[in-house]
Amino acid sequence: MTYPDPDDAAHPARPSVRPFLQSGPSSAGGYRPLPSSEPPAEDQATTLRPFVITSGRTDGADPDIGMETQVTVNHAAMPMRLSPEMRAIVALCGEPHSVAEISARLRLHLGVTRILVGDLRAAGQLDVHVLDNETPDPETIMRVIRGLRAIT
Amino acid sequence: MDFEQSPDHFVGTARVGGKPKKAPVPVKIIVAGGFGVGKTTTVGAISEISPLTTEAEMTSESVGIDDPGQATMKTTTTIAMDFGVLTIDQTLKLYIFGTPGQSRFAFMWDDLIKGALGALVVVDTARIDDCYPAVDYFERAGLPFVVGVNTFNGQMNYNLEEVRWALAVREDVPVLSFDARFRASVRDALLVVLDQALDKAIRARST
Repeated sequence: MTYPDPDDAAHPARPSVRPFLQSGPSSAGGYRPLPSSEPPAEDQATTLRPFVITSGRTDGADPDIGMETQVTVNHAAMPMRLSPEMRAIVALCGEPHSVAEISARLRLHLGVTRILVGDLRAAGQLDVHVLDNETPDPETIMRVIRGLRAIT
Repeated sequence: MDFEQSPDHFVGTARVGGKPKKAPVPVKIIVAGGFGVGKTTTVGAISEISPLTTEAEMTSESVGIDDPGQATMKTTTTIAMDFGVLTIDQTLKLYIFGTPGQSRFAFMWDDLIKGALGALVVVDTARIDDCYPAVDYFERAGLPFVVGVNTFNGQMNYNLEEVRWALAVREDVPVLSFDARFRASVRDALLVVLDQALDKAIRARST
């Protein structure tokens, strides 16, 4: 998983990240106001705010990580310094949880959760249980049918 | 559901040994439909936990909301998605995701239907056209789906044949009525979805 380098002027991390979060082409002289041709995108502030936790990244979420994908803590991982959000995710995943459950229980935006889970996976703190076959096989469906029939 | 929590099975021993519990295999069913047709009620009726809500980003203008009572108030840029869980057994968990059925939410459906067993499209006969985008999308995506007319007020303005005609769904797409408030009714509707899913999985295997 590679993330765009936010310092790479030629390929800004994300076009809609507000300008002062990344160094622009003329950043050598320090901060400069934007040319007036580009009005500050006020409406984007509300959209982006949750992603402050991810340092502004909104893409780069691992496509393997779906909403129902199960996540557990990797007990063999070396302790490391983590953000409060990441610590909360690791603490929650002592029991298997889906990404959607993590998002709901910690009140984290779903997109943010996916990125943080991806980061924690890359750091070796979490095991993300990606399914081998994406399409469910008949045997699994039969088990779901039997399980559903059993409830009253 | 209580039977999966029988205390002397491996729930207890997993902790004593300090071993991480094996993660269950997740499967999911989508519940789609317009605002206020009873998606959350449907999810809540079948889920073993009270439905959880997760927020996803909405990039386009948000005009509609999931509450017909305050239709003019909301201007947020996130949409809420309710979901529930049903533990089939220690190794298998069913997730039920409720998702808005309008086409402006289609950006999140690609993610949602990946690996999904099938979908239940919830219809309110007073506003049948609300579910057109969802039906269109599932047809094109090849996801097995069932049209479920929610009879939560105990009456239907149209019979099922008329609903089928209005939606112009293929002959092999089941159109049924159910009551989102009752667990058994939701269960039966989901069983029809699973039947469709099973048919598709068996066809896929034999080819």
